[in-house]
Amino acid sequence: MVTQKEIQHVAKLMKIELIDPSIYERVDKMLGYFDILDSAGVESEEIIFREIPITNLREDKYIPYNEKLIEKLNHYKGTYVRAPKMV
Amino acid sequence: MDIKISALQFTREVKSGNLSAEEFMAKTLEQIQKVEEKLHAFLSLNDNALKQAKEIDKKIKLGQKIGKCFGMPISIKDNICIKDTKTTCASKMLENFVAPYDATVITKLKQQDAIFVGKVNLDEFAMGLTTEFSAYGPSRNPWNTDYVPGGSSGGSAVSVSAFECVASLGSDTGGSVRNPASFCSTVGYKPTYGLISRYGLISYANSIEQIGPLTRTVEDTAFMLNLISGIDSNDDTTVDNHGEDYLKNIDSGIEGKKIGIIKEMIGDGIDPAVLSATKDAISKLEGLGAKCEEMSLDMVKYSVAAYYTITATEAGSNLARYDNLRYGYDFSVEGYEFNSYIEKARKKLGPEVTRRMILGGFVPSAGHAGKYFLKALKVKNKLTRQINDAFKKFDLLIAPTVPILPFKIGEKIDDPVALFLVDINTVTANLTGKPAISIPFAISHGLPIGIQLIANSMDDKLLLQAAHALEKTVKLPEVPI
Repeated sequence: MVTQKEIQHVAKLMKIELIDPSIYERVDKMLGYFDILDSAGVESEEIIFREIPITNLREDKYIPYNEKLIEKLNHYKGTYVRAPKMV
Repeated sequence: MDIKISALQFTREVKSGNLSAEEFMAKTLEQIQKVEEKLHAFLSLNDNALKQAKEIDKKIKLGQKIGKCFGMPISIKDNICIKDTKTTCASKMLENFVAPYDATVITKLKQQDAIFVGKVNLDEFAMGLTTEFSAYGPSRNPWNTDYVPGGSSGGSAVSVSAFECVASLGSDTGGSVRNPASFCSTVGYKPTYGLISRYGLISYANSIEQIGPLTRTVEDTAFMLNLISGIDSNDDTTVDNHGEDYLKNIDSGIEGKKIGIIKEMIGDGIDPAVLSATKDAISKLEGLGAKCEEMSLDMVKYSVAAYYTITATEAGSNLARYDNLRYGYDFSVEGYEFNSYIEKARKKLGPEVTRRMILGGFVPSAGHAGKYFLKALKVKNKLTRQINDAFKKFDLLIAPTVPILPFKIGEKIDDPVALFLVDINTVTANLTGKPAISIPFAISHGLPIGIQLIANSMDDKLLLQAAHALEKTVKLPEVPI
C-alpha cells in the first residue's frame, strides 16, 4: 500500500504535477500487483549486469555536422539554450 | 494490379519489370485513403512517396544500380527517427519534433531503396499494448474495427494487415511487435537483443527493447532482417552476426528439432480458442517431425511484475529529457521558475506515461528499491538462467503469442492489471534477450490468433526456419477490410 503523500513526493521529485486524482488509485493498484515479486523466492539470487568493455567503444572524435542543431530549438540565444531562472 | 503481395514478390516483380514501383505506390496510397478513416494506422504520410517511386522506375529503366527493396512501401513506427520528418512517439510532448538524423535501420533501408510511405501509430512512447494510449486516438483492428489492434506497434500491424504498405518496422519492449502481429494476423519478429541497432529509436527501456519487422510472411521477415541487422558503431549493444543470410535455407524444415511447450503460458486464464489453436500448432509441428514436450519456466509467473518494474525505472530516467528545453511543447520561458516550467511542460505527457514515470521514480527509490527494482532484476536473472537451461534440452520453445483473443476498444483501458497480464507470454523473450516470432495461425470468432516460437540467443536463423515450416501448414482467410 502506497500513500498519496508518497506518490506526491515522487511526483514532485520528477517535476510532475498531479492533476488527475485517479492516478493514486491506479499507481497503488499497479504497485499492489508488483507485490507478487515478494513470493518469487529470489532473495539469494545475485544480480548480474551485462558488461560491455569500453575498448569496444567507437573512437571519440569530432564529426562535423552540417546543420546548426541549436537552431532547431524553440528558445536559444547564440550558442546557449534559453532556460527559466533556477533561483 | 494486386497490392496484396509479399515483400519478396514485390521485389521480384519490380526487378523483372512486371510491376512499376510508381503504380504500386499509387495503389498503396489509394488503399490508405480508402481505409484510413476506419483504421487510423498512420500519424503522417510521406508526400514524396510517389515521386520517389517514380525515380526507382526511372533507375530500373536506365539500368542503374538499385537497392534490394526496389521502392517497396514500408511504414515506420513513429518512435523511429527519419531525418527531417516528424517523430512524435504519438505524444503531444513531441508534436512538433522533427528528427535531425536517421536511425541506423532507416539509413540501411534508404541504402536499399525502400520508400517510407508514412509514420504509424503507437501507444504514447510505446507504453501500452492496444494503441489506446496514443495521444492521437487509437488505431483499429482491420479484422473487426470495434477491437484493438494490439500494441504498442498497433499502427505497424494494421498497416501491414490492411495492405497499406508491404512491411513495417515496429519496436518490441515487452511484446510490442508480436502482440499486434498476433491481433492483426501478421508476422511479428523480436530479434536477439543487439541484433538490430537501436540508434535512432526513441528510448523507453534500453536494456530490453529491440526494433523488429512486421510482415506478411516469414520469408519477408528474413529478408528485412538481412537488410537491417548487424553491428553498429552507434549502438554499442549491437552484436556481430557476421553477415548472416536469414533467407538462405529458410525451408530447411524442423525435422528432429526438440520443442518445449511452456506450461506457464498455456495455463490459467487462457482463452479456450487460443489453447485449441496452440494444441493444433503443436500437432502440426509434430507432423513435420519435431518432438514437442511440456516444460516449465516457473519464473514466468513473476515476469510481468519484473518487466513493468524494470521498464518503468528505465522510462523514468529516459523520459526525464522531456523538459521542454531540448525537446517538447513550445511555450515561452519568461515568467517561469525552472521547476514549474518543466512541470507545465510535462502536463503534455498522457496519463499512462505519467503513471509509468511515477512508478519509475518510486520502484528504484531509497527504501523501496529492495522490494521492487532489485527483486525484479533478480527475477530477470533467474528467468534467464532457467531459459538458458531449457535451451540445453530444447531447440525452440512454443506458446501462444497472447493468451486471449483481441478485445474491444475500451474494454480493459481502466484496469491496469488486466492489461499487464496480456503481456504474460511475450515479456520473457525481452527480459532474457531471446529472439521470438509471432506467426498468424488461426481465426476464431473472426479474430486472429498468433503462435509464438522462441529460440536461444543468436539462433534467429533456426527460429525463422521453424516459423516458416509452421506458416506453410496454415491457410487463413483474407482480412475483411
